[in-house]
Amino acid sequence: MTARVPAASTSAGGAGTSRTVRVVRTVLVALGVALIGLGGWVLTDTVDPNRYGGLLLWLVGSVVVHDAVLAPVVAVVSLLARRAGRRVPAAVFAVVQAAVVVGAIFSLVVVPEIVAKARGPKNDTVLPFDYGLRLAVLWAVIALLTAAVVALYLARRRQKVRPSTDQV
Amino acid sequence: MRRLLYEARRTASSPNRNARSATVFGRLLGAAFVVCLLTGLYSHFLQEPLDGMRFPTSPVWLYQVSQGVHITAGIACIPLLLAKLHSVFPQLFQYPPIKHPVDVLERASIALFVAATILQLVTGLLNTYQWYPWPFPFKQVHFALSFVIIGSLAIHIAVKLPLITRYWRSRDSYDADGRFVEPSAELDGARAAFVGESEATAELARFRAVRDADATRRDRDAHAAPPAPARGLTGRLTRWIDSAHEVDREPGRARVSRRGFFAAAGVATGGVVALTAGQSFAPLAPLNAFAPRQRGLGPNDFPINRTAAAAQVLETAMDPDWRLDVVVGGVATSFTLATLRGFDGADERLPIACVEGWSQTGAWRGVRLVDLLAAAGAPTERRLRLTSLEKKGGYRVTEMGPEYAADPRTLVALELNGEPLSIDHGYPARMIAPGRPGVLQTKWLSSIEVLS
Repeated sequence: MTARVPAASTSAGGAGTSRTVRVVRTVLVALGVALIGLGGWVLTDTVDPNRYGGLLLWLVGSVVVHDAVLAPVVAVVSLLARRAGRRVPAAVFAVVQAAVVVGAIFSLVVVPEIVAKARGPKNDTVLPFDYGLRLAVLWAVIALLTAAVVALYLARRRQKVRPSTDQV
Repeated sequence: MRRLLYEARRTASSPNRNARSATVFGRLLGAAFVVCLLTGLYSHFLQEPLDGMRFPTSPVWLYQVSQGVHITAGIACIPLLLAKLHSVFPQLFQYPPIKHPVDVLERASIALFVAATILQLVTGLLNTYQWYPWPFPFKQVHFALSFVIIGSLAIHIAVKLPLITRYWRSRDSYDADGRFVEPSAELDGARAAFVGESEATAELARFRAVRDADATRRDRDAHAAPPAPARGLTGRLTRWIDSAHEVDREPGRARVSRRGFFAAAGVATGGVVALTAGQSFAPLAPLNAFAPRQRGLGPNDFPINRTAAAAQVLETAMDPDWRLDVVVGGVATSFTLATLRGFDGADERLPIACVEGWSQTGAWRGVRLVDLLAAAGAPTERRLRLTSLEKKGGYRVTEMGPEYAADPRTLVALELNGEPLSIDHGYPARMIAPGRPGVLQTKWLSSIEVLS
């Protein structure tokens, strides 16, 4: 209702602001185009042209894996979870969701290490740990911490509720 | 098409996915990218200096820290990038996809930016454990992509500048109830159109619900018939998605959800840093759970990058006739291992800092390079060409700037951590200079040529 919308600061900033914005934008675009050009030149200068196809495939593949696989899965899972968790207190739901996200991101970083270790590192000092076991331990720790935080939250909420009901 | 994009965007939308989240994570990611670029450039020029470039040899840990920061910031970028992409994902389905020819450039620059960034982080991470499953050279592509990323980032910032300034501060982004304040149609036409359509749909749904309830009541009175089920799969799916989004309309719940999102991104970023940075930074070493390297592990209590077997020096390095040649003006002076051991032994604590991020400080013992050059009648303050016994490899022959040659801390090392060098660490002799990348600390030294 009484939103402090600073629309005024952007629209009523006058010619000065918009000129600054225009100058900054022009400089950034020029800089960006120049740097992309430099990157392209470095690439053509140092990489064999018969590697371009593979590189392009991996570039396109990176976007496809994220935008067409990872992100839709996250969107759908998040929607399912929100629907299923409608009756769960908001804070509890947020804590559990955050815990799953943290565990998932760790898995994303650690699973390639497990694969690389299984394929055989170049020497024994590369990837020295049992990453699978450590990841499992991490998930267990996350689960325990989450349970503890949720239990603490619920206990405190009950405590807050009880005195008032006692008085009534 | 319009319907499809609208539904996709609606399915993907959530209170966490807005321009404020995008601004917050964009800022952090932008800062991390600049740190990676600068530390990366430093590392690049150390390895491939332009003519006349000189580098500081003090503090000795300069490269250890700069490259440790490079890798650690890169790892921190993984959760930050995911959070950033999560914030903006519904934008992928904006309608109309392209309003103006400039939009083609904008969307192309974002596609390039996202592709290059994901690839850079994935290949960079895998490179830290020497795994190269892609069909292109890592080093050259990593270097070239870094410019493409910063360039497309600059264009992206230019395009989004009004939105970024609009949502720079939290108090300008949410109303008194904690509801996200949508951008004006002028700032983000596609989003405004989408929000307008969403509200219309919600209004229509409420209207239908009321009407159906009325109809049901009437029907029940008349025929006691059950309420009409949703028509078709699409109708049911749409209604289901609606019901899932219902909770987001409560501002209190949306605020908690948002806090959860930021907390998750913060904990994930802090967590991956804390549990991997121990490979580069001593204070975090006890927390090192997931890094590809462990300090203190290996022969001489030191990790190895390239083994003697891989470098094919198992025989040549153990040859009792091994000599180290110091070549000045075409004239070679040969030093046997016994002669080198006969010099006044010098001790230095210097780090090996690998390009792949891990580093460790060792106690080195050997001959000071300045003493060795003097013994060969060579001037100091000259550029040197170092040759290793290894059969092949990009670093078999390297050059070392005069600043390292003249630094009294630079050693031709014979011992590490109180033991003779292990063959995997460069037996019989290796170079160790302050502030240089590990690949340039030539192992299995064969000759040192003084360049004019």
